[in-house]
Formats: sequence, C-alpha cells, structure tokens
Amino acid sequence: MTRLIDPSLHKLSLIMSEMGDMVIESISLAVDSYLDGTNTSEKVLELSDSIRTKYFDVEDLTFDMLLKYQPVADDFRFIRSSTEISYAFSRFGRYAYDITLVRDLFGDISDCKNASLVESSKKVKNMIKDAVLSFAELDVRKAVKIREDEAFIDKIYKERLPKLIESNNTKCALAEALLLRYLERIGDHAVFMSDAVNYIVTGKHRPSEERIASHTKVKN
Amino acid sequence: MSTVQQRRQQYRALFKQNVERRLLIDKIVRIIVFACVIMAIIPFGSILVEVFKNGAAAISIEFLTQIPGAAGTGEGGIGPAIQGTLIIIGLASLIGVPIGVLSGIFLSEYGDNPLARSVRFFNDVFMEFPSIVLGIFAFLVIVLVLGHFSVWAGAFALSLIMFPIVARTTEESLKMVPVSYREAGMALGLKKWIVTLRIVVSAAKSGMITGILLSISRIGGETAPLIMTILGSSQFFSNFDVPMDALPLRIWRLSLLPYDSAQLQGWGAALVLIIIILGINLAVRYFFMNKRRKYKLFGYAINGSR
Amino acid sequence: MTAMTEGSTIDMTPVIDSVSSSTIVEKKYKMIAENVTVLYGGIPAVKNVSMKFPEKTVTALIGPSGCGKTTFLRCLNRMHDMTKNAKVEGKVMIDDIDLYSKDIDPIYHRRKVGMVFQKPNPFPTMSIHDNVTSGLRLNGVRDKKILDEIVEDSLKMAYLWDEVKHDLHKPALELSGGQQQRLCIARALAIQPEVLLMDEPASALDPIATQKIEETITELKKDYTIIIVTHNMQQAVRISDYTGFLYLGELIEFRETKKLFTDPKNELTAKYVQGRFG
Repeated sequence: MTRLIDPSLHKLSLIMSEMGDMVIESISLAVDSYLDGTNTSEKVLELSDSIRTKYFDVEDLTFDMLLKYQPVADDFRFIRSSTEISYAFSRFGRYAYDITLVRDLFGDISDCKNASLVESSKKVKNMIKDAVLSFAELDVRKAVKIREDEAFIDKIYKERLPKLIESNNTKCALAEALLLRYLERIGDHAVFMSDAVNYIVTGKHRPSEERIASHTKVKN
Repeated sequence: MSTVQQRRQQYRALFKQNVERRLLIDKIVRIIVFACVIMAIIPFGSILVEVFKNGAAAISIEFLTQIPGAAGTGEGGIGPAIQGTLIIIGLASLIGVPIGVLSGIFLSEYGDNPLARSVRFFNDVFMEFPSIVLGIFAFLVIVLVLGHFSVWAGAFALSLIMFPIVARTTEESLKMVPVSYREAGMALGLKKWIVTLRIVVSAAKSGMITGILLSISRIGGETAPLIMTILGSSQFFSNFDVPMDALPLRIWRLSLLPYDSAQLQGWGAALVLIIIILGINLAVRYFFMNKRRKYKLFGYAINGSR
Repeated sequence: MTAMTEGSTIDMTPVIDSVSSSTIVEKKYKMIAENVTVLYGGIPAVKNVSMKFPEKTVTALIGPSGCGKTTFLRCLNRMHDMTKNAKVEGKVMIDDIDLYSKDIDPIYHRRKVGMVFQKPNPFPTMSIHDNVTSGLRLNGVRDKKILDEIVEDSLKMAYLWDEVKHDLHKPALELSGGQQQRLCIARALAIQPEVLLMDEPASALDPIATQKIEETITELKKDYTIIIVTHNMQQAVRISDYTGFLYLGELIEFRETKKLFTDPKNELTAKYVQGRFG
C-alpha cells in the first residue's frame, strides 16, 4: 500500500540519482582537463550549477517531508543522510569546476603531471564512483575502500606539498598544489558521504571525537 | 461523461421524487403522533378538571381537619383520612424503599450470577401481581394471625407493592451509570462498597428518586389492599395495632353514599389526594436535586461545599 | 519465535535494551513486570510480557489496536480484578513488592499507582474540589485543612490551578474536556501515588489541550514514574524516554525512544512505526 510519504521519497531518490550521475561526470571531466589538457570548464560549470540547483531542491523536499510526515526509522535516516549527501554532491560539483579553472589559469599543464598526481587522480575518480554507487545501492562494504583511498590521497597531499616548495617549475608547482588541495577536499567529502550512507543502513554515526580530530591528527 | 457524473445524474433524478413523497409522509406521521398525544392527554386533563371542578367547593379548614360527621349531613371532614394516608405511605416507604434500593444495588452491582438472575425474574413477576392478591396475602399473614386489622398489615401490604418497582428502577438507574466512574473509583484505591454507595448511587440519584416517587404515587391510590388490612375508621390515628382511615378508603365509602353532600366530600377527598401526591413529588425532587441543577437554577449564590 | 506476516517470516524474539548498558549510573527500576499473561475466558490477550520501568521516566506503550497494550497497562494496578472473565498470571513488582502476591493488601498498594483514563471521567455529582479529594475523603480523611492543601498542590501539579482557583466548588462537568482530563490527573495525584498510568490520555482532546497534557506529563516525570499507552507515535517520540512496542499480545521491542524510532532493531517494529502495516 502506498503511504503518503512514498511519492516524495521516490522523487528524492530520483533527484539524488541524477545528482550522482552528474557528479561522476563532472569529476571525470575535471580530472581529464589537467591530465589530458582538454578544455572542459564550460561543461563542468554547467554540471556544477545543475548540481547546485538540485541541492536546493533536495533541501526543500527533505524539510517538506519532515514537516508533513514526521518520518521515523529508515525513512528518517534516509532523509537525514540525503541532506548531508546532497551537500557533499554540491561540493564535488564546485571542486570539479575549480579544478577545470586551474587548467584555464595555467594553460595546458598536461606535462606537469607526475606519478603521484596521476595515482591520486585515478583514486579520486574511483572514490567518487564508489561513493555514488554505495549510496545508490545502500551498500556499506565500499566504505572501507573509500576510507583507504582517502587516506592515500591525504598521504600524497602531505608528502608532496613540502617538496613543491623546492620545485623549480613554479607553474607546475602551483598548479599541482592547487590540484592536490582540491583532490584532498573531494576525498574528505567522499568519506563524509560514506558515513552518511553507513548511518542509513546501520543507524550509527561515526563517533564524533574521531570526526573532529581527523582534521588535525597526524595520520601515519 | 464519467461514470461518477452519470451516477450522480441518475440518482439525483431518484431523489427528487423520493423527497417530496417522504416530506409528505413525514408530515402525516407527525400529525398522527401529535393526535395520539392529544388523545392520551385529554382523559388525563379532563380528570383533573372534573376533580377540581367538583371538589374545590368542598375544601375548607373544617373539611381538612375534622373527623367525618354523620352520614348525609355534610358536616365533618376527612382529617383522619389525610393523616392516615400520610402515615401509611410513610410507613410503607420505610419498609419498602430500603429493601427495594438494596435489592436494586445487589442486582446491578453484584448481579452477574444465577442467584441474581432468578431474583430479577421473580421481581418482575411480582411487580405484575394484582394488588388485591397482595392485600389478601397480608390479610392472611398478619390480620388473621394477630386477630385484628392494623396499620402494620396495611404498611406491609403496600410495601409489597412498592419494593419490586423500587428494585427494578434502582437497578436500571444504576446500570445507566457508565462503567468509567466505577473504574475511576477503583483506580483511586476505594473499596467496592464505597464506590457503589458514594459514587455510583450518587450519580444515579435522579433515576432512583423517580422510581421511588413512582412507587409512592402508586401506593397512595391503592384501595383494595387497604380494605383488607387497615379497614378504615372515623377516628384519628391512635395506635399501630388498630384500624386506621386512609383517603382511598374514605373516597370509596363517600362515593357509595346516596347523599349529595357525601358525593361532594368524595370529590374533595379525591382532590386532596391528588394534591398530596403532587406535593410529595415536588418536595422530594427539590430536596434531592443534585448540585449541578441547583447551580444552574440559582447560579453562584449557592455555596455547595460540605 | 517467529510470526508470519504477508508471506514473510519476521523474527519475534523480543529486543530489549538492558537499560544499564546505555547509562553510566545504575538506574533504579520503579516497577517491574515479569512474565505477565492475561487470559480473557481462556484466550490470551497478553502473552508473557516482561518489562522494567526505570523510575522518574516516561515509558510509552505503542502498537496497533487490539495488541494488548491497554490490557497490559491495567495489570499494573490490578484493574482486572473488576473484570469477570479475566485471569492474570505473572508478577508486577513495585519497589520489590509483588502486587499480585497473596500476602499483601491490594487496595493499599494499588494506591501507589494512579490511573488516568482515555475519556475524562470526573465524578459527575461532585465539584472540582470534591473530585480532587475523592480518593482521600471517601477513604476517611476528614481534616479540611489537609484536604484543601492537597487540592491546591494537586491542581498545581496538573497545571489546572490557575484556571479554576477562583471557583473550586463549581461542578466538575462545567469544565472543558481538556480541563476535565487535567482534573482527573489531579485526582489521581491527590492520593500521592508513585507511578502514574495513563491510557491514551489525550486521544479525546483537541490539539491545544493535548499540548497542555503533554507539557504536564513532562513536568510530572521529575517526581513520578509514568507509563502511557498511546496510539500517536509522534506523541511517544515527543514525551517518552522509553518505548515498548506490543503486537498481538507480545512485547516485540523495548528500548530508548530515540533509538527505537530512528533505528528499530526488529523488522516488525520498523514496519509498524513507518506505517507499513495493514
């Protein structure tokens, strides 16, 4: 029997899935822009704006559902996580656009790439795919992989930054610094996302001390 | 046109005819009912009018306080009869009302068992007994045994008429009190008999009073049992062990005499009897009117605190 | 223990949080029900239900109509003594005394547990003042001064004092529905109980009156242990600390309210609270 809340939940799922697809596309295009030198900023901007619009739609929809239906249990957790995840999506769109701007600013930097940047970029692409998929399928097993990838990206970020200071090639160094920064932020949000998915499935938040300390604690 | 619209049109056509006919039937029934009420009231009204018309002339202080004079003289009064009626009603009530009320309480509150069911059955049967049979019974059991007519016998006979009525109406009134009040009382940790007496009976007061007054009105006019038990007399009350006069008896005696003055006195006695019964009704009703009604009648002027 | 519902098997093993696992201080239980079973003419309405009610908390009992929650509630103050065909088995302990044991006086101990019913039922022939004191007066308490004090205390606790203090001798039935219900609460409080049982206390009231009742309950839990049956799940979420879900006479889940409603462990509970029943 359809409950009053079901059409709204269905609509929410639809919007989230569209956002997910757009996020995967925009990140892919963004990464390609500096790895291959392709000019993708217009397309990515378009995607980013769409994602942002949908983010506001999701906010409206979720609060509307809270007002009208006072959902509990699975419904409640899904709705709560959807607000967090849609925010993460909007950040992904934004960072993707920022990344394409690096290429616009610095010109073709495809020769600046090095092994760790390429590796990080690949990982980010996979992370995003995993994150979106794990939300679509409510599958928490991918969370482990996502966290591993994020740790890797963090490590690269902390290792490379000091080295860039000593670099001769200012253009490449600055470009790489910016890119690594954006990649690290994307990784962080992907982990937020996987925590939100975990909340839907298991009902548990990750303990807050870890969450707070994760920004400052040095990980080995 | 959709099916809903089709149906609407179809049924609306039906209603139009139906309604007019039904309004007509409604009017006719209402007239019939009204006519029946009038037919029922007319005899009652006409009795009152007759009694008043014929009896008012007889009323005087002398009439109300003197003992009967010689037959046919038109002197004297019905003083002993009035006194006797009040005494016999009072005494019968003293016996019949407590027994009736307690039986009613038993049947209602503790009555979900075979004993109660048979009591209830016999009670209903007893209520239908002809009063003359009860009079004969009292005659056999008390008058013959003691050897003389007496007030006790009369009170006994009348109480036999009274208590089934009181028991029945008490039981019905108590049953009308919603279970929730009993539950509330029980939840407060009150014992069952306290809940029954202080809460349930209190709430059923109005109905119970009606029942008691009904029975009083009934026995006020009973003649046959009185013939067999108190016999009648021309003197004021002296002793419980001797015959006594009462209004129904006096009315009967007076109406049998061939004199006009006796007839007049008879009408007067009938009027007095009706007034007494009416008076008892009003007085008891007022006295037992519950706080809520008094509050509504008299507003904030009454302070009903205990 | 499993139940067949719509073709799928649902695990009916009760999920009960032991309270101490989620709190630091060892909580004291005011009332403990152990293996309570109620039979109406041989047919079980409540099957082997056990619950522990921590003191000074509000516990909500939820479940679909006919699941036994009211029947169970009425066991907690021996209301079934009044019902002809009812048989109650098991123990109900209040402060370590079993209400159903043969050695104790049920009336004395029943006074430790007050009850408020679904439809407000102030005694119709009594004034407000007399209604509140009825539990005491009809038990022999005569001292007017004490009675007046208790009336003021009880009406204040029920948040009715300010509205009626100017005319305590008004007949109780002159009050509005919400006021009558608060009067019933005051009447229950007047006998100085320790536990308050409430059977859908706000279901017959309008939203404003309901709100007042809920506020009253939230204040009362500072001093009383309250157990409330409700069919309104949002009300359970708003005012209760613990929630028990009953279905077909059995206890399915009993946990902290927030946990039960955000992350129910039993599939049946999840279905019920989300409205996927029926």
